Amino acid sequence: MDAVTGFLRAFIEGAGDLALRMFVIVVPIMVVMEVLEGTRPFRAFVRIWARLVGRWLGMSERAAAPTVIGFLFGLAYGGSLIVRDTRRHSLRRRQVFQMSVFLSMVHAVVEDSLIFVAVGASAFWIVVYRCAWAAAVTVVLGAVAVAFVERQRARRSRPPV
Amino acid sequence: MTETRHGDTGEEGRGPEPGAAVAAPGSGPLRADVRRGLRAGLVTFWDLIKMMVPAYFVALLLERLGVIDVLAEGAEPVMSVLGLPGEAAVPLVVGYVLNIYAAIGAMQALALTAQQITVLAIAVLIGHNLLVEGVVLQRAGMNGVAFGVLRIVAGLAAAGVANLLMGVF
Repeated sequence: MDAVTGFLRAFIEGAGDLALRMFVIVVPIMVVMEVLEGTRPFRAFVRIWARLVGRWLGMSERAAAPTVIGFLFGLAYGGSLIVRDTRRHSLRRRQVFQMSVFLSMVHAVVEDSLIFVAVGASAFWIVVYRCAWAAAVTVVLGAVAVAFVERQRARRSRPPV
Repeated sequence: MTETRHGDTGEEGRGPEPGAAVAAPGSGPLRADVRRGLRAGLVTFWDLIKMMVPAYFVALLLERLGVIDVLAEGAEPVMSVLGLPGEAAVPLVVGYVLNIYAAIGAMQALALTAQQITVLAIAVLIGHNLLVEGVVLQRAGMNGVAFGVLRIVAGLAAAGVANLLMGVF
């Protein structure tokens, strides 16, 4: 009996603490995002940023826009944009690969990161370090994939001996 | 639907008043944005809590029943490389299968230091919700399974490197 009440008390306290932290983080973010999204400076920022970071990560300008959306708001948004653009045949396979690697390492950077900061994680490590890690993995895997494809192509085009 | 209509015409009607002139041209009325944000925030909050609280309940129950001790012992060798206790494998696995909210719920049942929370956060933030997000990547023409493996491996590696670096600085 004592164990049960102890468990219930711990659960109620822990769940209340969790709910409060989430509420304080999630609701204000959503308001700020909603207000920001529609503003012209914000859209201009996304475009410029897409161009700068995208080139760095081996992405075309077309690939950079869904990447920024996914980076900021989540894989569901970015991913569905990638799916849509792939359907329209405007994206090369290599572009989709670069975007997928980068976004699978880091996405929804604002909300997901803040939620972990709310429970005590260091903002520097989970934002700055993780972005640097994602960029490094994207560049390295991109190079590996290119080398692999080139080799396949070379093997295929070699005349049979 | 009707409610939004009312709100929109209301803002338009108030247009000539001095307060409304502050809103940037082309962007929606600020007050409507805030209201939409509040609604989205509350809906999202509720979605997350629906996920986190049950996960926390199960994790706490498993901990009290001693199940986590058994699991933790098995995971100890891998977790110790990351500077984490064996029981930290629970939020990690919960995160892989479900999502980061459930992982945070499971984390809440453990006593971790600030550094351990950060290291665990890195692993979970890189690898989570692998089934659902794997489907998204699959639909984009990638190999969902390979990306799942990549995220687990890269997430653990990133966490391990971060743990080492944090020890240095």
